[in-house]
Amino acid sequence: MKIHVNDVPLDVAPGTSVIDAVFAAGYDVPYFCSQEYMSPIGACRMCLARVGAPRKDRATGEWILDEATGDAKIFWFPNPMATCTTQVMEGMVVDTLSKEVKRAQNGMVEFTLVNHPLDCPTCDKGGACELQDRAYEYGTGESRFVFDKRHQEKHHALSEAITLDRERCIHCKRCVRYFEEVPGDEVLDFIERGGHTYIGTLEDGLPSPFSGNITDICPVGALLDSTSRFRGRNWEYHHTDTTSLDDPSGAALRIDARTGRIERIKAGLNDEVNKTWIDDGTRFGHEYADHADRITLPMVRKDGRLEPVAWSEAMRVVRDKLGGVDGTKVGVAIRADATLEEGVAAQALAAHLGTGRLDHAPRPAASVLPGGAPATLRDVATSDGLLVLGDPTHEAAIVDLRIKDALKGVPPADLLPHGVPIADLRLTERMPRKTEILTVVAPYRTDLMKHAGRTVTPPAGGEGALLRALLALAHARTEAQGASDPGKAADAALAGWDDAVGMSAADAAALLDALAAAEAPVLIWGGFVSADPDADAAARALATAVGAKTLILGPMANAAGLERIGVLPSHERYAYDPASSEVRAWILGDLDPAQDPTVAKRFADLDALIVHAAFENATTALADVVLPAVTGYEKEGSTLNAEGRLLPVRAAPVEAGAATDFTGVVKAYGEAAGERLEGRSVRSARRVLKKRLDVDLAELPDDGRLLPPAPAAARGARALPARRAATGSALVVPSLVRIEHLDRNPTLLREHGGPTLRMHPSDAHAHGLTRGEVVTVPVGGIPRRLVVAPDDGVPEGTWLVPTLPDQPVGLHPLDLDALRRERGETAEVA
Amino acid sequence: MSVLGIAKGMGVTLSHLFKKPVTVQYPEEKVDVQARFRGRHHLLRHPDTGLEKCIGCSLCAAACPAYAIYVEAAENDPDDPTSAGERYASIYEINMLRCIFCGFCEEACPTGAIVLGHEFELADFRYENFVYGKDDMLVGVKGSKWQRREAERAGRDVELGLAPSHRPELEGVDY
Ligand code: SF4
Ligand code: SF4
Ligand code: SF4
Ligand code: FES
Repeated sequence: MKIHVNDVPLDVAPGTSVIDAVFAAGYDVPYFCSQEYMSPIGACRMCLARVGAPRKDRATGEWILDEATGDAKIFWFPNPMATCTTQVMEGMVVDTLSKEVKRAQNGMVEFTLVNHPLDCPTCDKGGACELQDRAYEYGTGESRFVFDKRHQEKHHALSEAITLDRERCIHCKRCVRYFEEVPGDEVLDFIERGGHTYIGTLEDGLPSPFSGNITDICPVGALLDSTSRFRGRNWEYHHTDTTSLDDPSGAALRIDARTGRIERIKAGLNDEVNKTWIDDGTRFGHEYADHADRITLPMVRKDGRLEPVAWSEAMRVVRDKLGGVDGTKVGVAIRADATLEEGVAAQALAAHLGTGRLDHAPRPAASVLPGGAPATLRDVATSDGLLVLGDPTHEAAIVDLRIKDALKGVPPADLLPHGVPIADLRLTERMPRKTEILTVVAPYRTDLMKHAGRTVTPPAGGEGALLRALLALAHARTEAQGASDPGKAADAALAGWDDAVGMSAADAAALLDALAAAEAPVLIWGGFVSADPDADAAARALATAVGAKTLILGPMANAAGLERIGVLPSHERYAYDPASSEVRAWILGDLDPAQDPTVAKRFADLDALIVHAAFENATTALADVVLPAVTGYEKEGSTLNAEGRLLPVRAAPVEAGAATDFTGVVKAYGEAAGERLEGRSVRSARRVLKKRLDVDLAELPDDGRLLPPAPAAARGARALPARRAATGSALVVPSLVRIEHLDRNPTLLREHGGPTLRMHPSDAHAHGLTRGEVVTVPVGGIPRRLVVAPDDGVPEGTWLVPTLPDQPVGLHPLDLDALRRERGETAEVA
Repeated sequence: MSVLGIAKGMGVTLSHLFKKPVTVQYPEEKVDVQARFRGRHHLLRHPDTGLEKCIGCSLCAAACPAYAIYVEAAENDPDDPTSAGERYASIYEINMLRCIFCGFCEEACPTGAIVLGHEFELADFRYENFVYGKDDMLVGVKGSKWQRREAERAGRDVELGLAPSHRPELEGVDY
């Protein structure tokens, strides 16, 4: 459509909002209530402009012409229009510069400021405040208001992590809309009316795993992140745009640091991945990085005690210790959220030592690389048939939000010259959701089930049986189509169905029908399926049978990347097993296997135990040499997210002494051993990766680049013989909050409560356990300190425990007889 | 050059011989300070409540052309507040070696908390002694770090080498 914005002629797509047309033309209008990725509602009235359009004569169907000029006559709307809720029309003329518009804007700024306090000097939004900026650009610069302003609560803790200042709220409704439109958790609303309106919740806190995003979108300092309350002014922060290493979704982050500390984390913009949203575990879970007990110097055990030493000395000790061990008996393992560059470093180290015992952990029994047709997050958001096996909210939180995008049925908007549309008119408040396209399968009630048209609860560890049954049914139904009497053959196919897999025959048939009818079906699975190679094989076969693309959610941020570049044992026999008696020396990156007392006992008679860690733990307590590690916020490198997108990881300036990433370990080791190992620096690792992946990682754009799937031949060579699925009555479940850091994340701990042991209320009753009680119970050998939380969403006989890097998702033995009550200790349960 | 010219010049010299000398016998004599002289900073308190005026907003640090000021803020304990309002400066430091005494901080301050006073005797021996914290600048503290150390060592009061004049902004400062 051809329109004019001031003096700029423009051709825009029908359906575009006028505000986007104005920005596309390079002009500016102030606005408060519109927000990228959310519905425009015209609440703030700040985006006013004069708008006019030509008209057609009803009788002739011809444009009415201006007699003086002979051009189409422009009929101006009688009042200034809110540009965010106005659609462009053919021939439209927009004026944002005239005196009349300026007057309207002045008036709106003044009106917005009438009840706004003069808090700027103490307000954490100051310097990055939309109201401050707009008042400066579009206000009159003086106040005519001499009366007492509205007084409301100044520091209301909306939740443990979010502070609300009710006087500063300008009622733009972004936060209220956000909860309904994005995560679909309606927990906030306006209360009262007129000048007395304030936002509030009837809930206890903000029970949504995505609540923190409202602190980013609030245009003023009404909603603020409590972790950074009064920590610094916006112009004092050092901003680092990076990628989250918290989970495999690969969300863009902006880390704000000051004086060597991380003060807050905000969401970054990556239109293909997280849009502008991140989960609360990622946002509020950074305090641990600045904790006082960080390991900042290498330490070497002398006379039984760890003594701080220089890197060079620590590495001489490492070299001498490893010199005495048969190279093939050394194990090297790094955590699955290490960067690709660290992976290369670990490979170089293992090659140098001559060991095939190289691995990343946690690594599920089955591969996390999708074969066949991998689904991107855009595919998820545009799918019309989704089968989800697992708990994506906790495995890769952004996937949860992209699934909810698909339910709206509005495909991602095309980018405009100024980026994401400010007011996408296809989005509305309280849109109907196509819940029928979503099927969620999990052995307990998950958050995403609230949004699913169909939910299936197989017994814990029963995904394999369910998938095999579905696969058999799919095959039988295909065959039945060719039979002489298709209807009868289809019934026959259903006859053998066993409801014990978790769903009825009719449901299964309906599910397969839905997937078959879908134009772009996507199958998503996570740790529960990957823990069982049979389930994994069935899932892949089912995806092929129904023609679905696949998205696999790995256990940690870069599990797919490390598998892809082959940070793997040379033989499955050599897979990471800290309890193995064959290994005489371990080099461990960020892992803490000695939490398990049997492993600790093994470790006591190792020839060498070298641990690269950021905090002291059960394993560093046994180590011969401890090397200081950086956290995921301080790394330079790259990661591969679940959809196969290479994303840049950048280092925030955090004071961490002599800590390095794993490439630093390999560099120092090489220096001690007199060799220049590959992967001795991020740059050298990138040279190696450039050859292998044909991508220059130093040149990665901020929003990353999709890596084409590995050629089938290469995958075959790397394919690992499947390991066995575990058994037990504890189901270790994914957790959006990183439990291993929770003790050092005070805000998140208050917000989330301690790690929970969830069970059916009848099980709790049978074992005399009460809600909030703190217990210690061995799960898969590791004594876990947990808060009892009976939950009727958990099937009887199953006990849910949140995962640790050293305790991967899946079934583990649970020793209820050894359960110990921490007497007198109780905790809040969310 | 005429004789008259020489006589005229000598006349000027001669007339000055009988004027009161400008030179001050510092430190025996005190130096007169003009009202708007800009010397060492003071952090003021509200005279009625005794609460600190500084709210830790860091605007002074932002205005400082020499990057001499560092502020860290914290939340007031409502039962025992340090300043009026929600926020106070938990760390407030000025590096007197960097400071160029331009007075921009004073101009930027929304609460009139930081005011450049009349003290100018800031010489000291070590770098770290030039970093002044809240304890060195809050109203009531008299003298530079060195002057206070000396006074304590000698067991006497700090004596300043200046004769102050009145400036209303220096609320509560008593030289
Ligand atoms: S919200 Fe903006 S305008 Fe309001 S007090 Fe804070 S910084 Fe100032
Ligand atoms: S709290 Fe912020 S986002 Fe919510 S309505 Fe008020 S101004 Fe808008
Ligand atoms: S002295 Fe003034 S400008 Fe500086 S932090 Fe304190 S209140 Fe803000
Ligand atoms: S009315 Fe708020 S942006 Fe248009």
